[in-house]
Amino acid sequence: MTVVPAQQTGGGGGTSGLYDVLELVLDRGLVIDAFVRVSLVGIEILKIDVRVVVASVDTYLRFAEACNRLDLEAGPRKSPGLPDVVGQITESGARGKSKGALSGAAETISDAFKQARGEGESESRPRARKSTAARRKEEQE
Amino acid sequence: MSTYVYGITASSHPKPPKDMTGVGDPPRPLRILEEGELAALVSDAPEGLRPKRRDLLAHQNVLAETGAAGCVLPMRFGSVAPDDTTVTGVLAEHADHYKERLLALDGKTEYNVKAIHQEEAVLHRVMSENPEIRALTEANRAADGGSHEQRLRLGEMVVAAVKAREAEDAVEVRRALEPNAAAVSVGPDSTGWLANVSFLVDRDTADVFLAAAEEVRKGHPHLELRLHGPLPPYSFVEPGAAEPAGTTGAFGTVVEMGAPPSERS
Repeated sequence: MTVVPAQQTGGGGGTSGLYDVLELVLDRGLVIDAFVRVSLVGIEILKIDVRVVVASVDTYLRFAEACNRLDLEAGPRKSPGLPDVVGQITESGARGKSKGALSGAAETISDAFKQARGEGESESRPRARKSTAARRKEEQE
Repeated sequence: MSTYVYGITASSHPKPPKDMTGVGDPPRPLRILEEGELAALVSDAPEGLRPKRRDLLAHQNVLAETGAAGCVLPMRFGSVAPDDTTVTGVLAEHADHYKERLLALDGKTEYNVKAIHQEEAVLHRVMSENPEIRALTEANRAADGGSHEQRLRLGEMVVAAVKAREAEDAVEVRRALEPNAAAVSVGPDSTGWLANVSFLVDRDTADVFLAAAEEVRKGHPHLELRLHGPLPPYSFVEPGAAEPAGTTGAFGTVVEMGAPPSERS
């Protein structure tokens, strides 16, 4: 998986940062009653649902297994996490300008939009190892 | 021909470059509609506009580039008015409110921070803090993974500990950054992040905010922090008089800090 440094979202409007700010562009901002809003039906925004720790038997077993595999002697810094965690990022400094960086998300967004164009499909499996879910983003109103 | 609206600004706002374009294929030229002291950044609305990557980016680009020259209130993506007259009519009707918001947001920009846990790192942390979990893990490991019940019990304890850590970290991230922000807007919880918070930051002191974010990152190696900005102040346009009551709750709450009290119309 490649690590794609996000462009500064303020200037050129990089595409790689779009996934993380999508929710802002689509869900926030000024809404005026006298205007209609473009229908968002058909847009599939892939949410990485593993990020939400849900209390379920499956989750319990998964975490128990993860603990069993964990090297208890190693410090948290020694083992910075799974190499293929979606969106694992290293941001080197923030000198004046912010550099949001993403990895998997950059691919995910393109998947999401491809899917939005496809419209027929309701599910897709990104290459990421983590389980992901396609969630339909319906129009809010 | 209907009119796509990008944002609202002051009529004194520097005019964008003549060749700037917005949504559509081919991209429609950006136009300015003036009404008194206010102006709307608009273009013709293309037929069959959909939330496609190109158009989302076009919307974002217009706001980012015009916003760099002065305060612009960003519209939510996909706002289409029946015609130009409707747009200027809305500007006239809610002029005081928009002027107040433009003043409140002048010189400020939005930074969005999202945080998640790095699983292995947070498990280490949870274990180092909780002898019971550690003991149970070691017992299970000695018993070749342990019985189904033992695994469930361990997993349940770990999940509870991780969730508690998520909640604590969410508070810590926000507390560490909010002293450097003029306002904070907490995004919906359900989007899969342990923290999803937007900060309204003075452009002049953005360095201080970014340095604080870097400190949080260093101090929480088990956290993955995603920082985006400067962004148009999407989360701080505040529901105006034109927005029906009740629609604000879905998008989180805005807490004004140190900003002058807004005069709501």
